[in-house]
Amino acid sequence: MTTKRDIVLQVEDLQTTFFTRAGEFKAVGGISFYVREGETFGLVGESACGKTVTGLSLLRLLPEPAGRIVGGKITLDGIDILKLSKKQMREVRGKRISMILQDPMTSLNPVYTVGDQIGESVRLHQGLRDDMVEDEVISALRLLRIPAPEQRLRDYPFQLSGGMRQRVVGSIAMSCRPRLLIADEPTTALDATIQAQYIALFKDIQKQTDVAIIFITHDFGVVANICDRVAVMYAGKIVETASTSTIFKRSKHPYTSALIRSVPRLDRKDDQLYSIEGQPPSLLNLPPGCRFAPRCPDVMDICLKEQPPVVEISEGHSVSCWKEKK
Amino acid sequence: MLSTMPNIDTKLKLKISGLTRSARIMRAMTFYIPVIILVLLVLTAIFAPWLAPHDPIKVSLLERRLPPAFVEGGSMKYLLGTDSLGRDILSRAIYGARISLSVSLLVIAATAFVGTALGIAAGYLGGRTEAFLMRFTDISMAFPGLVLAMLLSVSIGPGFFTVVLALSILGWAPYARLIRGETLRLRNSDFVAQARINGASAWRIMLIHIFPNVINPLIIVMTMAVGFMILAEAALSYLGIGIPPPDPSWGSMVADGRGDIDRAWWISTFPGILIALVVLSGNFFGDWLRDKMDPRLRQL
Amino acid sequence: MADILLEGRELTKYYPVTKGLLQRVIGYVRAVDGISFTIEHGKTLSLVGESGAGKTTAAKAVLLLERLTSGTILFEGKDVYKFSKSQLKTQYRPRVQSVQQNPWSSMNPRMRVRDIIAEPLVVNTKKTKEEIRSRVLELLDQVGLSPDQADYYPHEFSGGQRQRIAVARALALNPSLVVLDEPVSALDVSIRAQIMNLLKDLQEQYNLSYLVIAHNLATVRFMSHSVAIMYLGQIVEYGEAEALFLKPLHPYTRALISASILTLPEDEDQNVQKIILSGEMPSPLNPPPGCRFHTRCSEAIDICSKVPPEVRTIGTQQVKCHLYDDPGVQSASSK
Repeated sequence: MTTKRDIVLQVEDLQTTFFTRAGEFKAVGGISFYVREGETFGLVGESACGKTVTGLSLLRLLPEPAGRIVGGKITLDGIDILKLSKKQMREVRGKRISMILQDPMTSLNPVYTVGDQIGESVRLHQGLRDDMVEDEVISALRLLRIPAPEQRLRDYPFQLSGGMRQRVVGSIAMSCRPRLLIADEPTTALDATIQAQYIALFKDIQKQTDVAIIFITHDFGVVANICDRVAVMYAGKIVETASTSTIFKRSKHPYTSALIRSVPRLDRKDDQLYSIEGQPPSLLNLPPGCRFAPRCPDVMDICLKEQPPVVEISEGHSVSCWKEKK
Repeated sequence: MLSTMPNIDTKLKLKISGLTRSARIMRAMTFYIPVIILVLLVLTAIFAPWLAPHDPIKVSLLERRLPPAFVEGGSMKYLLGTDSLGRDILSRAIYGARISLSVSLLVIAATAFVGTALGIAAGYLGGRTEAFLMRFTDISMAFPGLVLAMLLSVSIGPGFFTVVLALSILGWAPYARLIRGETLRLRNSDFVAQARINGASAWRIMLIHIFPNVINPLIIVMTMAVGFMILAEAALSYLGIGIPPPDPSWGSMVADGRGDIDRAWWISTFPGILIALVVLSGNFFGDWLRDKMDPRLRQL
Repeated sequence: MADILLEGRELTKYYPVTKGLLQRVIGYVRAVDGISFTIEHGKTLSLVGESGAGKTTAAKAVLLLERLTSGTILFEGKDVYKFSKSQLKTQYRPRVQSVQQNPWSSMNPRMRVRDIIAEPLVVNTKKTKEEIRSRVLELLDQVGLSPDQADYYPHEFSGGQRQRIAVARALALNPSLVVLDEPVSALDVSIRAQIMNLLKDLQEQYNLSYLVIAHNLATVRFMSHSVAIMYLGQIVEYGEAEALFLKPLHPYTRALISASILTLPEDEDQNVQKIILSGEMPSPLNPPPGCRFHTRCSEAIDICSKVPPEVRTIGTQQVKCHLYDDPGVQSASSK
């Protein structure tokens, strides 16, 4: 691993709230993280922990007017993107930040050729002439190691195999050589052996382009296989951030450890799985103290009253837990 | 932009809650106004004998084509004026609500019942039953309704019952189509598979598991049909194969005024306005119901 | 051998593919192609494979939701297809129940939890209302829900709670076999452990047999006593769970395990090289000749593309692979 590359994205105290008739739904409650060039950063958590909303916030694609970023700062290559106009933000999307969705198989439009779909993004952002667009499209297909790109160009999605379609989706996302790629559960719908292929593909793209990747997932197995660093989210907060191996071997937050212990392992035989009782709190009605306190095995008095501070245990490993505050 | 599509589902769910104040008031209005209009009309129909100031079929040749009270030459005796036979338009409109609404409701009840039963049977049983029922439905939809109505009117004579029959005989087909589609979706659902695993009979599955789950779309379509049926009845009456004179229905009232439209516009206009009101109210109310019942929109 | 509850022999399901107005049959999708397995009393058999492997079709056949093209299902030694309608209703269906993958769609949204759990009792028994009522409360307690939750509708529960309700419904008739179709894959990670533990506890308590359909190998290892790995409608490897996971024989099993095992970035530099299969599973409409896996197999030899492999028994495992044709020759890379 290379050391100390440039920081591509810096998020500070991001807060995103949905204003609904039932009340304020605090989907993201003040989170901070950064992603470096050529690095894959995992955002892990269970459903409704705010990981997907974080992804949408970065692109400013929240369903308005209900969902709003109510606080914090998002800096992309030194530019505060929350201060950009809507038009400037459209420039950023696709060109500097792009996104791959949950089901790569259904995100292609069946009535356009592969070339048209990749070309759309290129044309939109780079204002190229038609003949140059084609060159760009072919190079995007090459990037994803699609054989015979000149021919594939004129194929419709249904003419491609599943694996090829995944690659085409990747080509669209990478067509403008973005600085940051957000992948929201891109492997969840896939079978294990296909998942392995797809992850290898991500690693390959990254090696070629140095793109920073934010990988949103609930699956610790995927995290271990692809991420360099990980942030674990619970009920809208990041509870722990560390390098992947630290998370697996020396995690400090009770939620992280419990989650890792509750996943059955293929490399050993368990008789009983560790299980976290109860359910995550409602984001409409959050407890005053630590959000994990009601389910935490190591809960203390102060946990129920005050939100825990973020404590940096060692370089790059920070935990939000009262236990670590000496 | 293909690569940056937002999460559609979240978007839909939150669409409603993010409405501004004025939009929310508009939404409430599209519910309350149609409901008030429909309720008033039903009450009018029920209490027609007490509400109508005159006998709706009493002819008074001396008072022909009197204009409404608010027009020059009109009198307070006939608030909405009189028709070419001197009958009170207000009273006729009030009694007409009875006929028009009861035709509409009867037809909807009959067609919805038949269409739902056939739709569920076709959708759940599949195979030949489905093939037969659906071809039958296609034929019904392709059959010219007007010709059938005329045939009926000629063979059994015009009347209230003939109108209901003419509209019902073909009217069930859209219900059957809709309900079959819903049933096909439900038939493949996990809970129906579960019921089969439990050993539930086809009859039980159709009645207990499928029927309650098609009620929502059914009610929406039924509501929308109220206006449509009133229009259909009006069309038949206008053509003279609907409710025979002298009984008033809104459609026949519009037809009566047709020859006088240049000198006594009020004869056709008032029943026409009523028809438009009911059709609009039915459609608005149906739209509102559909929004209300869409589970994706109901959440927040 | 008295311990066998259910046995599937040479189960085969072909779906005809038709074309044109006259519904001419142009081929068959070989969803399940001659698979055999046994489920013992109180034990769990898992059918594992990727989508399209045929595992769900096999489970549907056991639940009699799909009629097989050929093959027999023996339940306590009796041929299920020879049962009369009433025998099925009394001797088979009530004893073979299921829990489905998606707890959001497996319940009628218009029914209360009380009625959902009572449904199998209402359909299959002549119990009085009072008996059913007390049985429902008993079941709720067994799956860790409280009696006052009986009057709620399914949408008022979380995914984990719904899956508990589905388990309660499956247990209502005291079945012998429960088919679990991806029972935890739709649930959140922290909830999965709760449900898997519950299922295991119930198995012990009531001596239940499970037929688990799953694609997640770690889940399978935790739940199962024996495992069948399926590929393109066939079982390629079958055996006792522990032996199979410790020493997988078939190249496909090895690839699956390699893809699912957790490797940290620093491990990668060491010798734990991931096996990444190329390509995808071919269409079951046109399965490749010879061994069905040979198009993606890194260890394929000449014979693989020509002759379908026979089943070989090695230790407690059965494997369908030419690498084991000569019992003396073991694959070099097996580890």
